[in-house]
Amino acid sequence: MGRYTIRRLLQLIPVLLGTTFLINYMVWQLPGDPFAGRCGQRPCPDAYVNAMRAQFGLDQPVLVQYWNFLKNMLTGNLGVDFNQVPVATSLADAWPITIRLAILAVAIEAVIGIGAGVLSGLKRGGVIDNAVTLSTLVLLSLPVFVTGFLLQWLLGVQLQIVNPTVSDEATVSELLVPAFVLASLNMAFTARLTRTSIVENLRADYVRTAIAKGLTNRRVVGVHLLRNSLIPVLTFLGTEVGGLMAGAIITEGIFNIHGIGGLLYRAIINQDFTIVVPVAALLVLVYLITNLLVDLLYGVLDPRIRYE
Amino acid sequence: MRVTKGAKIAAGSALLALGVAACGGGGGSSSGGGSGNPRAATGTVYIRGCEPQTGFVPGNINETCGGTINDFVYSKLVKYNSDTAAPELDQAASIDTTDNKVWTIKLKPGLKWTDGTPVTAKNYVDAWNYTAYSPNAQLGASWFADIVGFDKVNTADPDGPDGPKEAPKPETDKLSGLEVVDDLTFKVTLTAPVAVFRTKLGYSTFGALPEAFFKDPKGFASNPITNGPFKFVKWDHNSQIVVAANPDYAGAEKPKVKQIVYKMYKDDDAAYADLLSNNLDFTELVPPSALAGDKWKSDLGDRAIEGKQGTIQTLSFPLYDKEFGGNADFRKAISLAIDRKTITDKIFNKGRVPLDSWTSPIVDGYKAGQCGEFCAYDPAKAKEFLTKAKSEGYTPPKEFPIWYNGDSAHKEWVDAAANSINQALGADAGFTVVGKAMPTFDEFRSTITEHKIKGAFRTGWQMDYPHIEDFLNPLVKTGASSNDGLYSNKDLDAKLHEADTATDPAQSIALYQQAEAILAQDLPTIPLWSYGLQAGTSKWVTGVKVTPFGVLDPLSIAIKEA
Repeated sequence: MGRYTIRRLLQLIPVLLGTTFLINYMVWQLPGDPFAGRCGQRPCPDAYVNAMRAQFGLDQPVLVQYWNFLKNMLTGNLGVDFNQVPVATSLADAWPITIRLAILAVAIEAVIGIGAGVLSGLKRGGVIDNAVTLSTLVLLSLPVFVTGFLLQWLLGVQLQIVNPTVSDEATVSELLVPAFVLASLNMAFTARLTRTSIVENLRADYVRTAIAKGLTNRRVVGVHLLRNSLIPVLTFLGTEVGGLMAGAIITEGIFNIHGIGGLLYRAIINQDFTIVVPVAALLVLVYLITNLLVDLLYGVLDPRIRYE
Repeated sequence: MRVTKGAKIAAGSALLALGVAACGGGGGSSSGGGSGNPRAATGTVYIRGCEPQTGFVPGNINETCGGTINDFVYSKLVKYNSDTAAPELDQAASIDTTDNKVWTIKLKPGLKWTDGTPVTAKNYVDAWNYTAYSPNAQLGASWFADIVGFDKVNTADPDGPDGPKEAPKPETDKLSGLEVVDDLTFKVTLTAPVAVFRTKLGYSTFGALPEAFFKDPKGFASNPITNGPFKFVKWDHNSQIVVAANPDYAGAEKPKVKQIVYKMYKDDDAAYADLLSNNLDFTELVPPSALAGDKWKSDLGDRAIEGKQGTIQTLSFPLYDKEFGGNADFRKAISLAIDRKTITDKIFNKGRVPLDSWTSPIVDGYKAGQCGEFCAYDPAKAKEFLTKAKSEGYTPPKEFPIWYNGDSAHKEWVDAAANSINQALGADAGFTVVGKAMPTFDEFRSTITEHKIKGAFRTGWQMDYPHIEDFLNPLVKTGASSNDGLYSNKDLDAKLHEADTATDPAQSIALYQQAEAILAQDLPTIPLWSYGLQAGTSKWVTGVKVTPFGVLDPLSIAIKEA
């Protein structure tokens, strides 16, 4: 397993190089000069445009720019963004908040989603099963911004039991409602996935054997059934961690959370590649690493899966 | 389906349960109804803000996020009255001229920077020289083009920023038209008389900079020493800027709050939700969702503020393009076919006012009806002018686009205007008008400034200073910086020049109005409507005034007595 992990980690390098180059190239290809729209209806002074282009190396060919980017990434020097604010501090301010939000969302997804899925899977066709099917249907058909605005309006504006927006500190308790909103869609997926998986495995031979051996119900479900049924769910949740970080733009906007989503959104609008590229590179990294972790966890859940 | 009801309730209560659990730990500092005003204890108010693109250097700001907060901390020679938009002396004790060409500016004595040093004439002259000097690459440089010696300190790139050549180094870094007379007096010599110069001096580029700036311009931009009613406290990027009342502020009207927190929001709806629950004390951006059906007025009651601001929306044509530039009668037909009243009523809920001049109604020199009959909705006359345009030899292309930038809310009104034109001109017009979006403002502006746009396009103008001149000289004079359609009319240029150089302000305005009237002959741009202003306050504050620039007057906001 050690060799497998190392091999996978080494594979990260070409993937990262490829994606960052593509992102750099695409940003370069975008139409419109990032400094042309900065002066509104008036044209920007030539001296300003020249100075900005020189500062950010926009007057260089794309390969030279990419080489400079790599050099800066490796030396940890991310430079400043178009607003002359250090990129590293912007990222350092935003990442912890987004990570907290994403972890909280995944936790909510896992606990509620798996819980509801197991309960409805075990008592197929029962009241709980129907309730879960219906409530997940509601969640699945509501876009995130509807859930978000609804909860913000209901809890924040009408009932005034929470603040409609999250403060700069973004404490865990403040993030609960946004995390729930962020998790709502995937929570429904998780519940349905778990239910199907449980229903399928309930008929499996090893479950019948376990029951025949006279094991307690708790042990049959908790150890034998759940461990096998969680593999597809885990794959789903694992890939979602990366997705949640990148996909939090809407939720972060609604609740005014100063995380990566908002930073990325503003940077894309301003064509500010100094932020877009490092954030995208970090997101790629998060994706790759969570995928690796999920793959490694398979082995823990199912000893039949071996790595070489 | 006997479980349907139960399931729905279950789902609903699960949502609620989570929400309630969430508030257990968190809870708002100020959201509880309770008695007493939470703002009174700290003297701090919270207003909506956004991240400035540049730092606190007055000559290097040209967007509202930075401009708003900069105006809180910097005083200029002149300020604009919050109610009437009239220019009034601020740091200047007097601004005198006999010929509108040589201006003698005297500062009030005893003015101080926040580091204790006095505000001197030299501070102004140094700051203006710094901004104008092209190697400093300041955004406001062109504002000093009227001053003698500008061509010596600011050199243009001979082939533009895209070309290989570089701009030559300027001969000197001092404008010869600026002269310090004594500590409190300086003299400005302009290349030609400019009647509106006094009014211009309230624009942020004409601010002063203290000695400390020149030692470390970069550091200063994020930690400035200022001379305004408020002083800078801290700037947490993408999160907030805090300013505090300046105890040394010499102005007659003092700040009524101890601190203002400029809280950054990415989303107008989030700011509005915070305003409704009294976590935010002021926003000047009521989101479209709340404007619909005047919901914001019932939400806010007496906390709603309605007003006007000096921004207008126009439709421009690429006059350099044979196919899409049209002729005067064609443009008149288009203008006559736009039902401004219905669009402003239905799409903007009367938040904007139909415009029949090229000037905002709130500025000095505005005259209604300058556009004459051509800015009223009249389908019959529109058809008449279209026939006339065609008989003069112009054939419009089958599809005539109106371009806009898709990254802000323009689609609705552009489509409505296109519909209005198509309906008014009828099916036999021989062409249809369609709204077309470009993805970003950057791309949109690049295409326009490179003169490559194929069709009419939206143009907006937010005034720099409240004067009719600001709506004419930069927009329609031959070769002007924002004359996007490349309009050129000798009579108009002559009239504008006459107005610029007139010494009597009233006569100058009359001349500008005559110049504006000339536009009705050619209709190079079509006036559409002027912007209204919708703002709101929390229940904790009182006395709030909004300036004609659409931002908070920081001296007006006060905390309600409990």
